[in-house]
Amino acid sequence: MKMQFDIAGGDFSAAGGASSEVKKTLKQLNIPPATIRRIAVALYEAEVNVVAHAYSGVMSVEISPTNIWVQIADKGPGIPNIDKAMEEGFSTASDHVRQMGFGAGMGLPNIKKNTDSMELKSVPGEGTTLEITVNFN
Amino acid sequence: MTTPQYIHAIQIDTEICIGCSHCMRVCSTQAIRIVDGHASISPERCVDCGECYRVCPMEAIYVKDDRLAKGSKDYIYKIALVPAVFFGQFPVKYSVTQISDAIRELGFNEVFEVEQAVDFIKSEYKRIAKDKDIVRPVISSFCPSVVRLIQVMFPSLTENILQLKPPHDIAAIYLREINSTTNIRPEEIGIYYFTPCAAKIVAAKAPEGEDESPIDVVVSMRELYNKVYKLLIENKSDKDDLKRRSSMTSDSIKWSLSGTEREYFRGRSLAIDGVENVIQFLEILESGRISDIDFLELRVCDQGCAGGIVCPGNRFLAVERIGERQKRLQERLKENKKVLNPLMEYAKELQKVSKVKEITPRKGLLLDENVEIALQKMAKIKTLNSYLPGFDCGACGAPTCKNLAEDIVKGNASMSYCIFVQRIMEKNYKLSPEQAFLTIEKIWGKNRLNKYKDNYGEKEVE
Repeated sequence: MKMQFDIAGGDFSAAGGASSEVKKTLKQLNIPPATIRRIAVALYEAEVNVVAHAYSGVMSVEISPTNIWVQIADKGPGIPNIDKAMEEGFSTASDHVRQMGFGAGMGLPNIKKNTDSMELKSVPGEGTTLEITVNFN
Repeated sequence: MTTPQYIHAIQIDTEICIGCSHCMRVCSTQAIRIVDGHASISPERCVDCGECYRVCPMEAIYVKDDRLAKGSKDYIYKIALVPAVFFGQFPVKYSVTQISDAIRELGFNEVFEVEQAVDFIKSEYKRIAKDKDIVRPVISSFCPSVVRLIQVMFPSLTENILQLKPPHDIAAIYLREINSTTNIRPEEIGIYYFTPCAAKIVAAKAPEGEDESPIDVVVSMRELYNKVYKLLIENKSDKDDLKRRSSMTSDSIKWSLSGTEREYFRGRSLAIDGVENVIQFLEILESGRISDIDFLELRVCDQGCAGGIVCPGNRFLAVERIGERQKRLQERLKENKKVLNPLMEYAKELQKVSKVKEITPRKGLLLDENVEIALQKMAKIKTLNSYLPGFDCGACGAPTCKNLAEDIVKGNASMSYCIFVQRIMEKNYKLSPEQAFLTIEKIWGKNRLNKYKDNYGEKEVE
C-alpha cells in the first residue's frame, strides 16, 4: 500500500492533514492501537517540521504487512548540524513559529523516540530527507 | 474471527421504515445502509448516539427499553433512579418535591436522584488528578456514547478513558448497599433507571468494563414524563420544596450538562458537546497534535444530557430550569448550613467497587484480522473508489462512494449498485435496463419506483 502527500511550507492551519490520513488508513488494519499512536505522533512532528522550516515537502508512505516506512523529503534551508538538531530543546524556529506554539525543540527527538529506525540526511541550502520505519509487532 | 455480540438500544421498525436514507446520511460512524427498502444498522459500528432517531421522518427508529410495568410483580421495594435533567423537563411551577411525589404515586417506594452520586465522583477526580502516571488527557467515562465512539472510531484512545463507573452505577450500588440491611431480599429490590438517551440504556444493560449491572430495569424518560405530567395536572398539592433539607450539592445537578464536570478535574481541561465537535477533537487528539490537556469532558449530545434523544422537552429550557434550581439550592444552602450527603458515608466502600476494567477497542473499522489480507482489501477499495464518481449521492444505499467500495470488497454490494456505473454499463451493453431495475429494487425495495408514471402521467409503469 503506497500513499503520497504534498506538504506546504508555512501553512500551519493544514499541518497534520497528511499524518491524519495515514492514521485513518492504519486503523483499518489490525495494528496495535499503541503502535498507531506512535506512528501518528512521529508523522505529525515530521509534518510540522516541514511546515515550520521548509518551503515544500512530500510525504511518501509504504505500508507492508509487518511495518510502515515513511519518507519526508523537503526543499528548504536544510540542517547544518544534525547532531545538534537531535538534542532535546534545541530549535532554530523563528519567533513567529514559536508564537504559534511550535518550535519547542522536541520534534526530532520525539520522532526518534516513537520510531524503530530513523535516518536523517540534509544538504544545507537544498533540503532535508527523513526516513522512518515503525514495525507493527 | 470471533464477532462479539454488541447490544444496542437504537432499533429500526422495518414495518414503518420506508428506506428514505435520512438516517444513513447523518450517521457519524457510517453504520447505516439501505437494504431491501429499509435502513439496516451495523452492530459493530453503532454507538447508540441517536442522531438517526432525531432525523427519521417516519418515526421508524425507536429506542428499545424496558417498560415501566416490567417487574412490577417481582419487586417488593421499587426504587426510581432519576437524573436531574428529568426535573428540568417540567415548568418551574412544579417543584422537585411534587415531581418526586408523583413518581412515588406510580408505585415507587423511593425516588433517588442520580446526581447524588456526583459528590463521590468529584472526590475520585481529586484523587485521580494527582496521579502522575495516568495517560493524559483523561477522557471522562460519563457519556456512554462517547466511550463507544472511541472504541469504534479511535481505538488508540481507549487507554485514555477513565476507568470509573458513571454516577448512575455508583448510585445504584449505594442503593443496594443501604437496603441490604433491611428485611427485603436483594432480588426483591428493583432499581429502575430513567434515561435521557439510548446510549445509557445500553450502558445500564451491558456496561463496558463491568461484568454485571446493578440496575434492574431501564426505562426511557418519555414514558415516565407522560405519566408524571398527568398526575401533576390532577394533583393540587402545595409547594413545600423549600422546607425540606437538601442532601444535594448545588452544582452536581448540572453534572450531565456541558461544562460543570471539567471544573472538578485539576489542570487544563475542555468541555465539548455535540457528536461532530467530539469527533473533530478526538481526530486531532489521536493524530498526536495535543499534548498539554489533562482532562476532556465529552458529551455526544449538544447541551449534554438535556439534549438526550428521549428527553421530552426543549434542551435549552431544561438547561435554564436546572440553572434556576441550582440558584434555589444555593439560597437554601445559605439558610441551612452544610449539605450532608448520606452517600458520602459509604465513600470508602464505593471506592472499592467503583473501578471498571480497561476499555478495549471494537472492530468496527477493521477490514480483516490479518494485516496482509486487510492490505489487499484496502488496495482493492482504493481501485474501486477511483472508478466511482465521488458525489456521495447515496443512491447505492451507502453514505459515500468509499463506503460502497468497502461494501463491495466485503462482499455486500456490487459495482452496479452505483447509478452512474449502471449508465456506463447499459451504454456498453454490459447491463440490461431490466437488470438495472432489479438492482435498484434490491437496494430501495420492491415496487419502490412504481409511483412514477411514464408518458406524463398517462400510463403507469408496470
